[in-house]
Amino acid sequence: MPAVPFDYHAPATLAEAVSLLGSLGEDAKPLAGGQSLLPLLTLRLVRPRAVVDLHRLDELRAVRRDGGTLEVGALVRHRALERGEGPLVLCPLLQEAAALIGNVRVRALGTIGGSLAHADPAAELPAAVRALDGTILVQGAAGARAIPAEEFFAGLLTTALRPDELLTAVRLPLPGPRTGHAVEEFSRRAGDFAIVAAFAVVQLDAAGRVAAARVALAGCGPTPRRLDAVERALVGLAPSEEEIRRVVAHRPLEIEPDSDVHASAAYRRHLAGVLTVRALARAAAGARAFGP
Amino acid sequence: MAREATPATEPLRVVGRAIPRHDARDKVEARTLYAADWQMPGMLHGAVLRSAYPSARIRRLDVSRAAALPGVAAVLTARDVPRNVLWTDVPGQTSEVGPLRARLVLLADGVVRYQGEPVALVAAETPEVAQRAVEAIDVEYEPLPGVFDPAAALAPGAPRVHEEGNLLARWQIRCGDVERALERADVVIDTTYRCQMVDHAYLEPEAGVAWVDADGVLTIRASTQVIEHFRDVAEVLGVPHNRVRVIAPYVGGGFGGKEDVTVEVFLGLLAWRTRRPVRMVWSRQESLLARAKRHPFVLRYRTGAARDGTLVAQRIELLGDAGAYAYLSALVLLYATVTACGPYRVPNAEVQARVAYTNNPPTSAMRGFGAMQMVLGYESQMDQLARRLGLDPVEVRARNALHKGDRLPVGQQIETRVAVIEAARRAWAGLGPRVAPRTPHHRVGRGLACNIQPYGRIVWLHDWASAWVGIEMDGSVVVRAGVPDIGGGQASALCQIASEVLGVEPAQVAIHIADSALTPLAGTTTATRQLYMSGNAVLAAARELRARVLEVAARLLEAPPGRVELREGAAVAPDGRRVALAQVMKECARLGVPRSHLGVYHAPAGDPVDLARGGRVFPDYTFGAHAVEVEVDTETGAVAVLRHVACHDVGRAINPQSVEGQIQGGAAMGLGYGLLEEVVVEAGVNLTTSLGTYLVPTALDLPDVEPVILESGDGKGPFGARGIGEPPVGPPAAAVANAIEDATGVRITELPITPERVARALGLLESPAPGRA
Repeated sequence: MPAVPFDYHAPATLAEAVSLLGSLGEDAKPLAGGQSLLPLLTLRLVRPRAVVDLHRLDELRAVRRDGGTLEVGALVRHRALERGEGPLVLCPLLQEAAALIGNVRVRALGTIGGSLAHADPAAELPAAVRALDGTILVQGAAGARAIPAEEFFAGLLTTALRPDELLTAVRLPLPGPRTGHAVEEFSRRAGDFAIVAAFAVVQLDAAGRVAAARVALAGCGPTPRRLDAVERALVGLAPSEEEIRRVVAHRPLEIEPDSDVHASAAYRRHLAGVLTVRALARAAAGARAFGP
Repeated sequence: MAREATPATEPLRVVGRAIPRHDARDKVEARTLYAADWQMPGMLHGAVLRSAYPSARIRRLDVSRAAALPGVAAVLTARDVPRNVLWTDVPGQTSEVGPLRARLVLLADGVVRYQGEPVALVAAETPEVAQRAVEAIDVEYEPLPGVFDPAAALAPGAPRVHEEGNLLARWQIRCGDVERALERADVVIDTTYRCQMVDHAYLEPEAGVAWVDADGVLTIRASTQVIEHFRDVAEVLGVPHNRVRVIAPYVGGGFGGKEDVTVEVFLGLLAWRTRRPVRMVWSRQESLLARAKRHPFVLRYRTGAARDGTLVAQRIELLGDAGAYAYLSALVLLYATVTACGPYRVPNAEVQARVAYTNNPPTSAMRGFGAMQMVLGYESQMDQLARRLGLDPVEVRARNALHKGDRLPVGQQIETRVAVIEAARRAWAGLGPRVAPRTPHHRVGRGLACNIQPYGRIVWLHDWASAWVGIEMDGSVVVRAGVPDIGGGQASALCQIASEVLGVEPAQVAIHIADSALTPLAGTTTATRQLYMSGNAVLAAARELRARVLEVAARLLEAPPGRVELREGAAVAPDGRRVALAQVMKECARLGVPRSHLGVYHAPAGDPVDLARGGRVFPDYTFGAHAVEVEVDTETGAVAVLRHVACHDVGRAINPQSVEGQIQGGAAMGLGYGLLEEVVVEAGVNLTTSLGTYLVPTALDLPDVEPVILESGDGKGPFGARGIGEPPVGPPAAAVANAIEDATGVRITELPITPERVARALGLLESPAPGRA
């Protein structure tokens, strides 16, 4: 079906884009890689009066390492994340997460900023950024803001972005020593959105005990979920698979999955437990591989 | 690929060779002009307004805003359709329903009975304007109570989908004394199975272009399996049949979804009204929402056997969901009824089959046509029986398999070889050594499933096909046949047959297909019948032509008649002297010997059968077997098919490459049905109207299916061929279910076999299964 007709803008600079969004207000939709917006347009599920195409904003394509953090521009494509191009290789969890997005055609066009701003609860990158304790950088008419991922994802397909704001980059702390990561995704079909996916980061101390653990889940509620109780309980433990299984089994998972045509809430809850254990165990094994 | 050599009754040059199809290269190089690719000057674009409700009265339908939009050429509602009803004949009913003519309404007239039912048509200058006009039609609905489950539909007091009641059709078979046999059986397996509604999900959604030609003939070039729908279009418009012409270009997938009318009638109405060319292309969403789908069934099987595994009785109850309109439901149910006992001898059998109207999307033809849904029932039962008695899965089937000369429970005698056990042994052996599980929480298991599928149409339809074969003056060959080619290589197989008989290379044969005005009618490309029927028609035409040509050639060569051969584009005498076919054609022209022939093949025919009394229903049946090895993740319930060997007796493989394609494609479709696909309808609302929610398997989700071709040489088609279009879709789901029990000890009885269903069966989830309509 053809989309409902709309006005098309392709601003040349970030300033121009922000000013356009400011004047068009809620009737405008920014277009990045188009992997979410274009299907929504042609299905007529969204009917914006204007589309602001960001493809000319080269300033949003940069990837910078700054000491212990990595800043990834909003227009960096999934394919670049997957391949670990340039400094992106320093963030292997992002690499593993991006490789699970759709198929290679989707990854060749989709962007990290688009995925985060769309905030699909089953998508890989929002949960990955949550597991990485990332910060979302945005630019609006009133200036720039840095929003912790925890606050950025506000609800189903809803973020802290204001209508006049553009997501410009995401800032990620780089993994420290003896840090392992893993992504365990379960989908009905290769390349689909996750039914549930678990993103884990485990850092060990010199004695091989958990110094810090983070685990985020996709597909378990309107926003990506962190399992705080599990994370806290793991600290100080020697993370064998049995130990992890015991910890996860004895903590209520702070998730609120929904039922849909692909899976019931009960099954998602079950998968969340299984995948959390698998992801943490593999992350811990990866951390151990660094040696003491 | 493994291929069983069969001694040929005659040496064959072209038949049996895996030659590339002439249409394949065109498709890969994007030269094929599919239905939606056709462009005409001044062409309008059609669109359909569809019902938002599954059951409602239309209180007001006002098209004035839409009609007034600039660029809108026509807006049509039921009132504008000369004859708004098509009829389906349902012959030979054996129940209180009686002989029936079931109704199909083209545009909703006062009432809508399913979500997505067409309500109005638009033709406009651009697709955008057409869409805007559709949205500008004002409809006021008054929602009515609906019924969304066939059992609920048959309960007293259920809302009536149609005035005549919700029971659409009922068939039954009785032979022997089932009651007594079940009482005396050493083992009785009693299980209820459920299979789901699925969609054909072909690459090419429904599409076409129609125009009124200079001679006043309404011409419709559309994606269809049945060019004979020109008659339906004529009936609807109230014009003589010979004023409507349907052309089917190469079709991008049919699978039964283009057996009923789709866009043809709508295109005809719009082109006739506007007198301009009109194009209509349904979106994927429309196609998934509202085009007729595969019947879901509830199947209860009570199977009795002796201790040695010999079947003594089957008592089977079937209930299907017809959705809101009859379409071909009664016939689908008939196929299910006749094949419900599987490829086995069953001395005492009772089948009670019903199909009911609901306010769900209509269901109709789909590859396997009722017979495929039964495989889950009879093959799960055989596997459970083997397990209960400690028998090998091949052995229990071998002890019960039908043989040539046996009678099916419906009373029809099998006239050709039944290679089902040979197929089972080959498929089972083809799995090779067992694979070890990857991790401690994985289990690996194997399953087998055999099947029976009719080929050719029901004998009381008196099926026939015609084809014209001619030799041009230069010795090149032309075939004309009204055969829609839906991607199975239907056209190229006919070229191969003509090439074989007339001794020219396949590239020397041109074929013109699927034009109801210009090609001899061949009947539908459905029911695994086109190679069988049109293959025989082309064979008959080519043989008659060869006989005439040889007579003339023998005179030219001064060779004894009967000793001259046609090969390499020439007539060749026993001593090697030859005369080019072109030369023979000149001589035919000089003598007035016709250089073409119209071949007609009539299938075995019979009177309508009361199934309960028994008799012949189909021309013949064909058999196959699939074996799979699966790996089950016992923590998540995920099932991966590691290996899949699919073996079918095709009688004779005219083109082994096409046969392999049918087997692999059918197996892939069967695995999608078994593991992934489901049209989810909740209270009449379709929740799976995109390929993001309706899960068709991709290449990454499937194993590399290994086809094994058996050639018994004993089929009713040309050169002893049987059909292979439908059969391979049948066994995969049951084979996977059987393999899962082998791996984990749990029996899955409901399709699709989602990881969640497996997880529940494994006891991984505490909460009960969510209620299902």
